[in-house]
Amino acid sequence: MKKLFALLLTLALLLGAVGALAETTITVWCWDPTFNIYAMNEAAKVYKEINPDVTIKVEEVLSADCETRQTAALSSGQTDSLPDIVLMQDNSGRRFLDTYPGAYFPMDGLVDYDNFASYKIDKFTSDGKRYAVPFDNGVAATFVRTDYLEQAGFTLADLTDITWDRFIEIGLKVKEATGQFMLVTQAGYADFVSMMTQSADFWFFDEEGKPNINNNPAVKAMVETIVKLHNSGIVKEAVDWTEYIASFNNGTAGSTIQGCWIIGSIVLAEDQAGKWGVTNIPRLDIEGGVNYSSQGGSSWVVPASSKNKEIAVDFLSKTFGASVDFYQTILQSSGAIATYLPAAGGPAYAEPHPFFGGQKVFEDLMSYSDKVPLVKYGVYNYEARDEIVNAIEAVFNGATVEAALNDAQSAIEFIME
Amino acid sequence: MTTHAARKPAGLERKTARKGWLFIMPAVILIVMMSFYPMVEAFLLSLQTGTGNNLTYKGFANYERLPKDNTYAAALGNTFFYLIVQVPIMLLAALVLAAMLNDRRLMFRGFYRTMIFLPVATSLVSCSMIFLQLFTSNGLINSLLLNWGWITEPIPFLTNAVYARIVIVVTMLWRWTGYNMVFYLAGLQNIDSQVYEAARIDGASAAQQFRKITVPLLRPIILFTTVLSTNGTLQLFDEVRIMTEGGPGTGTATLSFYIYRITFERVPRFGYAAAMSFTIFVMVAVLAFIQMKVGESKQ
Repeated sequence: MKKLFALLLTLALLLGAVGALAETTITVWCWDPTFNIYAMNEAAKVYKEINPDVTIKVEEVLSADCETRQTAALSSGQTDSLPDIVLMQDNSGRRFLDTYPGAYFPMDGLVDYDNFASYKIDKFTSDGKRYAVPFDNGVAATFVRTDYLEQAGFTLADLTDITWDRFIEIGLKVKEATGQFMLVTQAGYADFVSMMTQSADFWFFDEEGKPNINNNPAVKAMVETIVKLHNSGIVKEAVDWTEYIASFNNGTAGSTIQGCWIIGSIVLAEDQAGKWGVTNIPRLDIEGGVNYSSQGGSSWVVPASSKNKEIAVDFLSKTFGASVDFYQTILQSSGAIATYLPAAGGPAYAEPHPFFGGQKVFEDLMSYSDKVPLVKYGVYNYEARDEIVNAIEAVFNGATVEAALNDAQSAIEFIME
Repeated sequence: MTTHAARKPAGLERKTARKGWLFIMPAVILIVMMSFYPMVEAFLLSLQTGTGNNLTYKGFANYERLPKDNTYAAALGNTFFYLIVQVPIMLLAALVLAAMLNDRRLMFRGFYRTMIFLPVATSLVSCSMIFLQLFTSNGLINSLLLNWGWITEPIPFLTNAVYARIVIVVTMLWRWTGYNMVFYLAGLQNIDSQVYEAARIDGASAAQQFRKITVPLLRPIILFTTVLSTNGTLQLFDEVRIMTEGGPGTGTATLSFYIYRITFERVPRFGYAAAMSFTIFVMVAVLAFIQMKVGESKQ
């Protein structure tokens, strides 16, 4: 009996070992079940046909946790806790690449970068090497309840190509007619800080990477606009992300202005199908201000510590970097608008979207995408944004815009010392 | 102690001392490895500047930087706000509750004690998330106030710096009052009930008994809980991280929150963060020392 048991055990171990030899598991960290996790699982299906021995294991890790875990692992040198592929916010790209040289696997020659939008590649280029397979497009748009607009006597066209002042005027009428907020954003207006600044072709840093806050016309106009929005009473300022999503899902707020990846959360409210429309964002009323910007967007990176980094890159380049069909699949259900240029020609982009009353949403978003001003992100994007958010809070409490922005300028200079 | 030991034969003394050391060795080794060694390393780290792992020794540069840092000043101010407002309210509430629940004539004493202690068994994260949900603009508190017609617009509990600080204090009170109450209850078991009986016979009111008997006899325990709470509040992190992310602006940020932020959420500056941790360490030590002195002198 004992012998039989031992034999079985040996056999089981042997089989296990053989299995392990043939199979490779690629672990992936990403965070949104309706969006990037969904896309990753679809990509895994595509790759199963190309290389059946590879299993893709997706772990749901919040965006912020992805970053803290990478910081902890890279600082301590305990890199075996890292997965083979991580999704990273475009805003964080330079910060990780510059802070931890050699920690990520360069993909030059392994991925066909000619097929990707160049602004995406720039965000993960360090010392002339490229470190990421671009994923989603962060092009910003106004997503709005057309039924709310109608109640106040407006149409989607009235909200197109307008200034922020006009947006507030319309918002006040919508609030009067419906009793609901016109817009929802997270308290602190952090998303608008970067979105508005970029929409006027400025960023928090100049060409040389020096902080450019207090003499920046776009930043000044942005702060003034946010103060107007805050004082107008048309904006629901959500305490956290959950409340933010809930506010448009339950109709408390009639619109959100956000990167197009928010579609995945908007379409969750099935009872609102047909009541939504998409248009471009309001512009800052200054020279160079346009109705286009971007917010968010992320890319896939491979930590250099991964034992299967070649396979991981092969997987990424053959799915996210090569398959037009794959992008057609993920587009309809998740709204994952590609930065993979050949995908735009696919038929799914021209299809009317039932949730948005038959509007050809993706075609429209792609057309906005071409007009987004290309600004150069730095290493200290979040620090600069924090300081501007602090400045805005100070203005809410009575400080002048000029004084608050001078403080923000010296604060960010202090951080970068 | 030394004079007493000197009278003993030297050989025996050495032998018992050696055995004693042997017994406490495992604990000593663990404390040295887990506590003292990291403290030394952290101090060395606080002398280095740079981002990520590109660190170089720069003497006390990080400490010189601290007074110029406005965010640090704001976080320090907030931390002391929590300390000065929350700790006294909490300890007084705990003391009063303990005195009330120590009354033998009270029905369902055990039930009340358990209920008040129960929040301590809640993880800080869940507790913070529940209070976050309670105080959002469409949370329970705002909904109730709106329904009763006491307010017409939701109160921005978590997006206004003053309200947000108060909400955080309330959360801490809920979570920690029971914890301190248990210490006081334990202390009250050691006070002979005859003392109270005698006081009652002499005509002392409940308030007088509390002030003249309970508080003086519990002094060592009050001191202990004060030191413990001061230490905990100076390191306050979870509630702030979960409920407000330090916002609005830096309105509710604490030192620990700022340390975490520059370590993990922004361009990492471990040296600077370590220097900040050491300032907390010094503050805890100084405050504990003052509290001990004050606690002793009144005896």
